[in-house]
Amino acid sequence: MHLAHLSLTNVRTFRKLELDLRPGAHVIAGDNAQGKTNLLESIALLATTRSSRPGPDADLISWDASAEELTPVARLAAEVEARAGEVTLEIAVIGGERPRMDAPLATSRRFRVNGIARRASDLIGQLRVVMFSADDLRIIDGPPANRRRYLDITNAQLDPAYVRASQRYARVLQQRNSLLRRLQERRAKPDELDFWDEELSVAGAVLLAGRARSLQQLGAHAAERYIELTSPEEPLEVCYRPAVPDDVAEAFREHDLAGRFRAALEDGRRDDILRGLTRIGPHRDDVGFLIDGREAAASASRGQQRTAGLALRLAEVALSTERTGEAPVLLLDDILSELDPQRRERVMQAAYGVDQVIITSPDEAHPSQVELPGARRYHLRSGALTLLS
Amino acid sequence: MNSYSDPPSGTASPITRLVEAFHRLPGIGPKSAQRLAYHVLRAPETEAKDLAEALMEVKRSIVLCERCQDLTSESPCRICLDLSRDRTSICVVEEPLDVRAIERTRGHHGLYHVLHGVISPTDGIGPEDLKIQELLARLRDIDTEVSEVIVATNPNLEGEATSMYLGRLLRPLGIRVTRLARGLPAGADLEYADDVTLGRALEFRQEVQ
Ligand SMILES: [Zn+2]
Repeated sequence: MHLAHLSLTNVRTFRKLELDLRPGAHVIAGDNAQGKTNLLESIALLATTRSSRPGPDADLISWDASAEELTPVARLAAEVEARAGEVTLEIAVIGGERPRMDAPLATSRRFRVNGIARRASDLIGQLRVVMFSADDLRIIDGPPANRRRYLDITNAQLDPAYVRASQRYARVLQQRNSLLRRLQERRAKPDELDFWDEELSVAGAVLLAGRARSLQQLGAHAAERYIELTSPEEPLEVCYRPAVPDDVAEAFREHDLAGRFRAALEDGRRDDILRGLTRIGPHRDDVGFLIDGREAAASASRGQQRTAGLALRLAEVALSTERTGEAPVLLLDDILSELDPQRRERVMQAAYGVDQVIITSPDEAHPSQVELPGARRYHLRSGALTLLS
Repeated sequence: MNSYSDPPSGTASPITRLVEAFHRLPGIGPKSAQRLAYHVLRAPETEAKDLAEALMEVKRSIVLCERCQDLTSESPCRICLDLSRDRTSICVVEEPLDVRAIERTRGHHGLYHVLHGVISPTDGIGPEDLKIQELLARLRDIDTEVSEVIVATNPNLEGEATSMYLGRLLRPLGIRVTRLARGLPAGADLEYADDVTLGRALEFRQEVQ
């Protein structure tokens, strides 16, 4: 699949951008703070509806529009050509009022697929991307929330049922935790938990099974890629650490996963009430990365962690292709310059295996014509793109 | 925001008080509150008087129906007193506006019961905060003819939680508890559903599990 057109209006540094794209490689060069990352993030947002940078949605709306317009709107749109046909995707982030003068604008989002108003879950997965960035090592060495976020974004692009389950899980979890606190204060009866336990276990089972399945495949690919990227060769092991009791984890491939999860929730009610929160479930999952049998987060060098992050992204490209039969669009956010020739070569190989790759670089001369023949080259300055070749 | 100034005494100026009063209304941000207040300020006096009187009138004359808990100017309300209505079925809704939406479909000929909310622990709302005791009292009444309760809460998580709770509570009383069919778009509000869709959801209602 590939992006045929990208249109950004009032998105971060872009007042107005219309960009025609073809299959093949695109290199976008420009100094820092000219919006290179914003451009790739906008594409990732259209694919996943998630912003890779934390922060309120109001930050997506260009500063000019927020200052000048009563109802500022950031509009992102893409035309995608995939094997299944052409599809247009659109996300509008609509600014409202400030709830307080010192607070960010209240915002709402509208999604369209082929011009028709849809939910976020209908948009996700229509365009699939894998974005490589210097922050990828944060998946390895950052807090568990980073790894769950990675799992969610990866799975969501591959499975619409996963998207729906994760949205529902988040809402049920919030309600269940509120009820636990009410129970703690004796303002509710324990049987009021029944509904939320049932819903949490049904949605949670989809997340647990989805994560277990994709991590098994990702782990196998990542181990292969990691060996190729290191010399002397080192083994990388990716292991899922689900936050559920063993008897639930053993049921990952069985039909009664939801039932066992639900039973475990019921068993833990008393302690959940004491703590005022839900102590088990995919919202507390983690993933371990072992290099040479040792925890990468604690004992690996920064170079090893960076390489593991790279291997994981390359594994994601393989997983996405394997599951859907169609390669995702690759976004490389300024990562090539810091890689040594061997690793750069591996990334380039992955880039040749997909329909489209969009690369940002601080330097017009890199990656060179020799490394990336036939690439369309652009220069980005103050939110405006100029075609160089 | 601060283009007007408070009087030196330190008490809020009348315009500040009005802006703040508008700001407390649901969905009104500070900018809109300010626009509304200045609109009232510039409008003819009769318009301001109409608004003030309408506000007071509604508080003075509208009460909850002692039976169905709907808003009414006289209790019991018109529907509860209507002898031509089917007394064997009660349709349970979240809000008074939902009674109007279901009436428009002409698909329900029985009575109503308004819960004034749904179960939502996050918002601090449990079963005891809804008009559920009032519903139980109606169903336990010696003269009751009710054999079916149709739960017409919105098709979202909180609406489902409420319908399951009511199902468990009412079934032991020997009452059939049903729920609107799943024709309604998930997450949609009853209030905004079109009459045909809502009518069909009502017709093809299902037993609450
Ligand atoms: Zn009444």
